[in-house]
Amino acid sequence: MTGLPAPAFDLDEPGTILFTARRAYEGRALNRFALSLRLAENRERFLADPRGYAGGYHLRPDEVDMVEARDWTGLLLAGGHVLALLKVAAALGGGLWDIGAHTAGVTRDELIASCPRRVAAVPGAG
Amino acid sequence: MAVVVGGIGISHTPSMGVEFDRGTSNPAGFSPAWQPWFDGSRRAAELLEELRPDHLVVVYNDHLNSFDLDNYPTLAIGVGGSFAQADEGWGTRPLPDLPGDVEWGIWLTEYLVEREFDLTVSQDLAVDHGIFSWLPYLLTPPWTLTVTPIAVNMVRHPFPTPRRMCGLGRAIRAGVEARPGDDRVVVVATGGMSHQISGARFGMANTALDEYFLERLPDHLDELVRIPVAEWMRLGGTDAAELTLWFAMRAALSAAAARVYAFHTFPQITGCGALVLVEPGALEEVPA
Repeated sequence: MTGLPAPAFDLDEPGTILFTARRAYEGRALNRFALSLRLAENRERFLADPRGYAGGYHLRPDEVDMVEARDWTGLLLAGGHVLALLKVAAALGGGLWDIGAHTAGVTRDELIASCPRRVAAVPGAG
Repeated sequence: MAVVVGGIGISHTPSMGVEFDRGTSNPAGFSPAWQPWFDGSRRAAELLEELRPDHLVVVYNDHLNSFDLDNYPTLAIGVGGSFAQADEGWGTRPLPDLPGDVEWGIWLTEYLVEREFDLTVSQDLAVDHGIFSWLPYLLTPPWTLTVTPIAVNMVRHPFPTPRRMCGLGRAIRAGVEARPGDDRVVVVATGGMSHQISGARFGMANTALDEYFLERLPDHLDELVRIPVAEWMRLGGTDAAELTLWFAMRAALSAAAARVYAFHTFPQITGCGALVLVEPGALEEVPA
């Protein structure tokens, strides 16, 4: 049994959190922090002192809270790009399934069991 | 003059790469989800070999692994003798660097800018799963041919338009055909088919859309180009926008180019397809 409804054919939140130009601008510190974790040595520094490391990138206190809480949905809404947040998830020993599960509102195992979430429509007929 | 002998459209995903490493090192082979992709890519690999390319021009998208949002290029070309594999956060995979060709890179840069494609020039480009995930399925290392990567923004809106991708493809073809020598070039465009990797629609899988795309692209490019990017995103998931990159490949080939192979499967999160188009006479030149 899956608790997930079929994905809708729209681009509205919370189904889709678009990375608009405005959101990209608002998330610039967050994404700078997240992408710094592409370097292995930075991942080590982050894990040794997550709050201190994140603070060094001028994240707001509520953004640091969301990082600590692994609130991926909140971070996306705050302007984090999913591919940038993926670096944070990777540093914390997780991955895309963790971000996906949080944004879909289910557990990681439930999401894995639900994918692929099949729909069918083509242009002009959907 | 150099010549475009064929084109390949192919999907990329991080797991495609990871599953290649597992599937080829594990005595039990590929996982059930990925065995169909490995099997389906065999014919594409054969065709690529039969096309005997000297050079690949690859239109792909970076996933915030080489570029970052402080300076995000809409279109960028890699110029270098080799392109390292980017560490995407879990360390790199056991693969050699991507071989480049500085002369090809400079040639295409100069030609494309002359054609008003004002590319960002990346002289130290690290390449991610956008190329490294599918490449070993098609070509076994050590890689002897060379690659020019052209990265297209699929990260932050606004994305370039589908029409722009067609123009890019036509300009690439013209640039290849203007180049002295007799290099054989295959133009590759890579992007996932239907998929969405964030939001409550995570995991959206529209194989009907993927089949429609593979069926229409060879001979109905004009029809597909009129469809707005947002429509691909609405129907196939936001990351299906990457399908518009495939337009560059189709537009880089002549109208007479023929579909010789199409395949798709949906392993888990991303629709995975492969399409091989061949220019007239390109395969017949192969000695029996």
